[in-house]
Amino acid sequence: MAIPTLFFSGVLLYLVAWNVYLSFLNWSLVNRVPRFVGLGTYSYLLHQYFFKIGAMHSAIFSLGLIAIGNPLGIFLAGILYFLPNKFRTVMVSIFLYPLAISMATNGLIWTWLFNLHLGVDYVLRLMHLPAIPWLTTPTTTIGALFLVEVWAYTGLAVLFYLASFMGVDKSIIEAARIDKAGGFKILFKILIPNSMNGFIVSTALLFLFSFRLFSLPYVIGGGPTNLNLMTLVTYLYYLFYSEFFSASAATSVIVTMIATAVIIPYALYGIKRWIRRE
Amino acid sequence: MNSRLIKYIILEIIAIIIAIFWLIPLYSMLINGFKTNFEATATPVLLPPKVFTISSYITVWGEMKRPLINSIIIAIPVAFISTIFGEMAAYFFYVVSERMPAVSNTGFSIISLATFIPYQATLLPLIELEASWGLFNSYQGLIFALLIFYMPTAALLMSIFIPVIPKYLIEAARIDKASDWTVFWKVVFPLTIPGFLATMIFVFIESWNNFFMPLVLTSSPSLRLIPVAERAFTGGYGTLYNDSYAAAVIASIVPLVVFIILGRYFIRGLAALGGGAKGV
Repeated sequence: MAIPTLFFSGVLLYLVAWNVYLSFLNWSLVNRVPRFVGLGTYSYLLHQYFFKIGAMHSAIFSLGLIAIGNPLGIFLAGILYFLPNKFRTVMVSIFLYPLAISMATNGLIWTWLFNLHLGVDYVLRLMHLPAIPWLTTPTTTIGALFLVEVWAYTGLAVLFYLASFMGVDKSIIEAARIDKAGGFKILFKILIPNSMNGFIVSTALLFLFSFRLFSLPYVIGGGPTNLNLMTLVTYLYYLFYSEFFSASAATSVIVTMIATAVIIPYALYGIKRWIRRE
Repeated sequence: MNSRLIKYIILEIIAIIIAIFWLIPLYSMLINGFKTNFEATATPVLLPPKVFTISSYITVWGEMKRPLINSIIIAIPVAFISTIFGEMAAYFFYVVSERMPAVSNTGFSIISLATFIPYQATLLPLIELEASWGLFNSYQGLIFALLIFYMPTAALLMSIFIPVIPKYLIEAARIDKASDWTVFWKVVFPLTIPGFLATMIFVFIESWNNFFMPLVLTSSPSLRLIPVAERAFTGGYGTLYNDSYAAAVIASIVPLVVFIILGRYFIRGLAALGGGAKGV
């Protein structure tokens, strides 16, 4: 019964193991006959400028999204909690629709919004605000991608926090209301302290989704070689196509290890709470 | 007027303002494909067209038609196969978890890994594997690659949905000496139809929108899937934005319509990944 899923999961583990094996070689365009070099490829990688840049950008995009997505998610979920049911459902859909569209499409839409003449800068100039040089300077390019990322993924945090808030026993809220507690007090003293689950899963999933961002930097940056938007994931793709095969595999192993360090605790937490229901 | 009512109105206004910001990209995508070439060079993307024309859609349709069909050929079987086999695996884990918790912990960790791993990290071995099995640059190869990630995703979601069934129903069927196969089809499957739909729609949208796999696993233009085809209209040399946006609409119309009609299932799938089967 479980054989097809076990088969495909097995293929995945096999691919991961194969990557580990390849990363210990020195296979590349110049070494057609690879040799075993132990950790040689890894130490080569750590000295590469692009690798450092990619690692830094990956950290900015993932940790940044956690730092902004969580409070923004709490803020929006806090507003939605107090709204009537129907209105709330519509709002949740509005925050989540970016996830129903391909990130490649989202990148394309935003590329034009960042256009210096015809995009949002047009409105900023009309309002006599300074126009932002979006995709033309390194710092604002990173900022632009970050903005798209926050727009695309904050809906997840809103959804998880809202689910946590809704899970809080209604009788506690009613009791607080009778004691004349206002909305702010209910939010900060009751809802937020009871949404540890929302915090854990939002943080884990915001990290995992932003850590594997590929299409957004690829489309907005005009390919994998845009240094301003190079992340670990676009870097491993770039290495593959420039035929540094072992270096690409080593980057893949590093990416997989970082992701696994988040995924396994998430899985064990999830199985305990949602499957065994302890 | 009492102060609570005023507070509610203020909250609603704040919510609406933020929602408008969130909708700007969707709005610009929907309006700009209807502009003429002249308007696309002279008017900003935030203003609606003065003259409606579908000439951009006609321009991009030729290049988007085949990828649209390809995406349908790929995404529907991936969603269906993943969900049906994923649910079977989820039921297997459910049965095993009582007797052998270590096995189900390991199984659950592995399907979570397959769900959330940056799938780009399998690039090199995946291409080697597909090349040696003769799957590279084919429909079967694309479906195979997507199943590696989405069948475990479906198993993960269904593992979250199945434990919601009242335990005594499954126990009762077991006492009547029904086989696992019978219990699955007569009890588990009918009771998890909402979860099944949520999972299938989630996987459908995810595989439709996947950009990386078709980018690296196909080389012939006739096999292009829609997110890759649309990139030809990203902008830059000589592309006008009316064409870009028309291509974007064609690329996202299917998932958007699914989201609008069956969005509650998609949202239920997302919510399950973060809060179990209860909640929203």
